[in-house]
Amino acid sequence: MDYLELWNSAWPAGVTMLGLGSGFAVVLLIASVKLKVEVDPKIEQIHKALPNLDCGTCGFAGCGQYAKAVLGKPELLGRCAPGGQESTKAIAKILSLQISDSGPAERPIVHCRAHAADKNVYGKYHGIPTCTAANALANVQACKFGCLVFGDCTWACRFDALHIVDGLATVDYEKCTGCGACSKACPRNLIEMVPFRCENMMTVACSSKESGKSTRGMCKVGCIGCGVCAKQTEIFAVEDNLARLAYEKYEPTEQTETAFNKCPTKVIIYCGKTTPEPGAGGQKAKTS
Amino acid sequence: MDTLNILLMGFISIVLINNLVFTKFLGICPYLGVSGRIDMAFGMGMAVTFVVTLSGTLTWLIDHLILMPMNLEVTRYICFILVIAGSVQLVEMYVRKFFPTLYESFGIFLPLITTNCAILGLCLFINLWGIDNLLEAVVLSFGAGIGFTMAICIMAGIRENLNLADVPECLKGAPITLITAGLLTLAFMGFAGMIR
Repeated sequence: MDYLELWNSAWPAGVTMLGLGSGFAVVLLIASVKLKVEVDPKIEQIHKALPNLDCGTCGFAGCGQYAKAVLGKPELLGRCAPGGQESTKAIAKILSLQISDSGPAERPIVHCRAHAADKNVYGKYHGIPTCTAANALANVQACKFGCLVFGDCTWACRFDALHIVDGLATVDYEKCTGCGACSKACPRNLIEMVPFRCENMMTVACSSKESGKSTRGMCKVGCIGCGVCAKQTEIFAVEDNLARLAYEKYEPTEQTETAFNKCPTKVIIYCGKTTPEPGAGGQKAKTS
Repeated sequence: MDTLNILLMGFISIVLINNLVFTKFLGICPYLGVSGRIDMAFGMGMAVTFVVTLSGTLTWLIDHLILMPMNLEVTRYICFILVIAGSVQLVEMYVRKFFPTLYESFGIFLPLITTNCAILGLCLFINLWGIDNLLEAVVLSFGAGIGFTMAICIMAGIRENLNLADVPECLKGAPITLITAGLLTLAFMGFAGMIR
């Protein structure tokens, strides 16, 4: 085909495309000027200070929403659990507010340490495989307080920080951001948000309020409420056949170490990023 | 009366019988990607309905007033994409200015609609079916959006219940979703031949 002929049939297409394109460009340009939305630059700054995980712990749909809300209402400050103290300080600086120290970051602790081999079951449950459904039934497993293993908490976790390991919900503290979703998801309220005052928190990993004898019958590693730990140091207290640690007073001392070693069922454990692995236990260590 | 009849037939046909998702397999990407939760699916459906109505109308006008008289039908694809991208931008700006809450709930879906092939598909189908009436083109475009919304909402409803179903390990996730989509399509194939 002749080049001139080709050109003659091509240029109207080019011109039309150019015309259409520039027409739209003009319309969009006018629209972008007329419909301009003023955004406070502080919102952008606050958004950057947040961890940007969109976990929803603060009660808003995402970090962007929270940033906008916190600018309007400074009393909402400090709702961000994953960002913790750092984010709060950064936002306070942007908003030029003074804040007081609100203490260490909270992390979940599972108040049960019974692995599959440790607990008695009466039969096999074949219903809807969620903890909430199973919890509505009596006798899904012998212990009325222990972990149900269907993993409602693992579904609630958005950071892949909770897994069922050998029949027990286990927190991966490396990945955990402390958003608290698991604690809300557990129908048996086994997971408690605890301020981690040091790298490894000590805890009584049991929730059973049955008498010592029946707890012993249902689970090899339950708290029998003997009170040995309470004799060592006053931060332990036994109530309803269950020892409890006052987390806000906890500090690693010789007394707590003695209590840890003397516990007959080894239900006192450490949890945290680098769990020490003594022969005595720890949530990851299996007992024979 | 006759016009109304044609319009109604066209609407029902594009929603149920020639549904873009079920029979033409267009717009599968958002259909599978955004159908995890029913409220998000509905938001996506509404956004698509809005944009498809606007761009269907605009492309019909451009096709009939500019391209056809100038014998430039070959440039249809580029022109239509231009119209769709432009109208999505315009809609986004408009919604952001006047309906901030709606804008927040649409989120990322609104710009993503630009690449939704159901919209370009509909614009080209309107041309392929030889629709020579503006009103009919508008009704068909709107119907296509409603059809898409219906499809994605049904899918989202099924997938919400699928979470509780006891799915075999090897089929969990994408496989069961695709099987569900296939079965749903088969069910809607039953409408074929309803209007002759």
